Amino acid sequence: MQSYQGVQPVFQKNYNKMLYPAVFAVGVFAIVPLLGMFALSLTDFHLIKSWDREFGLANFIRLTQDRRFISSISVMLMLSVFGVIFQVVLGTLIAVGLEKIVPRWRFLRGIFVVPFVVPAVAVALIWLSLFTPTLSPINAFFDIFGITVPAFLTTEYGAIGAIVIADTWASYPFVMLLILAALQGISSDLDEAASIDGATKMQIFWRITLPLLKPALLMVALFRFIETLKHFPLIFVMTNGGPGRSTQATNYYAYIQTFQSSNVSYGAAIAVFLFVFAAVISFYVAKANARLTDA
Amino acid sequence: MKLNNTHHAAIGALLACTTAVPSAALADDLNVILFSMPYTQGLDQLEADFEEKTGHTVNIDVVGQDVFESRITLSFTGQTGDLDVVHTPVIQVQRWIEAGWLQPITAAVDAMDTKDDILSGPLDAYLVNGERWALPFFAETGMMAYRTDLLADAGYDQAPENWAEMLEASAALKANDQAALAMRVAPGQGFNMFVYPMIMRAYGGTFFADYPTDLTPNMNTAEGLEALDVYASLMNDFGPEGIGNFNFGEVAAAMQSGQVAMIVDGTSIVAQALDPDASQFADQISIAAVPTGPNGRSPAIAVHGLGVPADAPNAEASFAFIEWATSEDVLTKIALMEAYPDFTRASVAQNAEVIAKYESIHPEFLNLKVQMLGDAIGHYRPLLPQWPQMGATIGENINAAVNGIMTYEEALETSDQDIADIMAE
Repeated sequence: MQSYQGVQPVFQKNYNKMLYPAVFAVGVFAIVPLLGMFALSLTDFHLIKSWDREFGLANFIRLTQDRRFISSISVMLMLSVFGVIFQVVLGTLIAVGLEKIVPRWRFLRGIFVVPFVVPAVAVALIWLSLFTPTLSPINAFFDIFGITVPAFLTTEYGAIGAIVIADTWASYPFVMLLILAALQGISSDLDEAASIDGATKMQIFWRITLPLLKPALLMVALFRFIETLKHFPLIFVMTNGGPGRSTQATNYYAYIQTFQSSNVSYGAAIAVFLFVFAAVISFYVAKANARLTDA
Repeated sequence: MKLNNTHHAAIGALLACTTAVPSAALADDLNVILFSMPYTQGLDQLEADFEEKTGHTVNIDVVGQDVFESRITLSFTGQTGDLDVVHTPVIQVQRWIEAGWLQPITAAVDAMDTKDDILSGPLDAYLVNGERWALPFFAETGMMAYRTDLLADAGYDQAPENWAEMLEASAALKANDQAALAMRVAPGQGFNMFVYPMIMRAYGGTFFADYPTDLTPNMNTAEGLEALDVYASLMNDFGPEGIGNFNFGEVAAAMQSGQVAMIVDGTSIVAQALDPDASQFADQISIAAVPTGPNGRSPAIAVHGLGVPADAPNAEASFAFIEWATSEDVLTKIALMEAYPDFTRASVAQNAEVIAKYESIHPEFLNLKVQMLGDAIGHYRPLLPQWPQMGATIGENINAAVNGIMTYEEALETSDQDIADIMAE
């Protein structure tokens, strides 16, 4: 066995065992519930009705025929794709601005991070009031000039847009912090060399900084994409899934099936779909990231 | 130091003690879970009173409604026995009984000396299959609040008596550049489906052909269509901007800030509009009965109570808490402590301090509330185990119709189909 200088003998002998608590924790808190969810999705467990304990794929077959489920996927994709785009663009712009363009304003990083620490329900309540015309200071301001701001939360795409805006506000700091860390890992020698060769700041950004940020951007986009698949508090508080069912994303639909309709197994099948969907996306993003890193 | 077997044994024993001692100390504790509303917030502050009176210790956990739903579902399905008393909305009680999540408390209720003091409507709302399943602490009904000055400007010296007059008055108010009426439109069985049936039933619309004997879906009728047309017109043509996503909070705020001339909502929301501490125009707001329609008046009703979970380990102690929490003494204290809770005992309504408090917002508030409770029908929202799911689905369709995502016919037809699907499951 390899010997470690300066480490207590008791740990030298049993260092493999130090992993046991972590393995145990992952097993108990991640693997077992996940396996439970998979098993549940194959049953017909309903909170109210009896359970015949037969296993099968009926829930997954039902998913393919459930128009509400299929429509929830398109809502989820709209929320995720637009949310990730706005968060990554805004977070990156602020990070680059603070690190490269006006570094003397770095002290503002703390202020930009504030939305990230606001609880999701509070974020939802803040934006609900901003998007409710009778409560919103924005509407009150424009009313002075006789301009009527439309009620976003009462139209299909307006409500989706409102949730994307609220999520962007709450989550861009996460992107900003990761991109700031990535920027600090890029040697300033490259910028200086390009500058000596006559490159402008924009050229340095597009030709040097951005290509070097690609792996970080890809990973942060993946993190955010997976997070946006789990949208719940914003929808629950801001729209209740409305108008009609316009903002019922897949995760929210799983909640409706599980807790409103008591179809626990069907809710689990929807959760399995989300898990597989996120895993597939992660796999391809990780592959793309590996290619970028190797290049 | 190297640890030997003796050390391990000692550490194990110490850990066992540190975990076992609190468990033993908490063995007789009562765990009560409630969701947030004025009564439950008030009850939370009276924990010490119960402990002093009964010797039992109690942990009252007041949480948001979403957290409540998840927590009790996990507790009930897991049969963990960790809850001794549970907040029991009447709208859920049939579902919970069918699932076997509650235990009856009939004998204990019948043995109560003060049972006759509890308002019979709310009390009997928990009488299912000949058994009592909870004691009520809250009974809210529908009511209208209106701005006397704005209606006078529009040519009305009193509130509209029926929904047709409501449309006329709303048009007159709009002509004065005033948003007329706010009601809940946000989708949900406790949101738009708390208020919409007031119009639907007034026009003769029903959820079923002949509840409870014939449960054939019956929303897509001429009466149902007319009711939905009235509701959508009132909201879209005469309501404030953004009404399509209004819930009770926005409705209350719109009236308190003077942005609408009338609201029709629950008594707790109307009380907030009348409360001079919360409402900018309280002195110009009066109250009226819920408007009638061709089929009469149908005020909303919502009842909340306290029940004992089926797996509660000490049913006797659980009921002791429920009896205390719904007693005249506690309900009176909460009626005086909190804003304007909807209590369920006649004696509380006769308490001089309570009367003075409610008369301070409006001399007729308590009388009108009693009148509306008398007019309300118990099955205003059908008392079926499937209702929570059904109400949520219908609420989505009605909300879609008001917001122009579905036509009125489509919304009612889809609702009938959804009801049929849910009943067939």
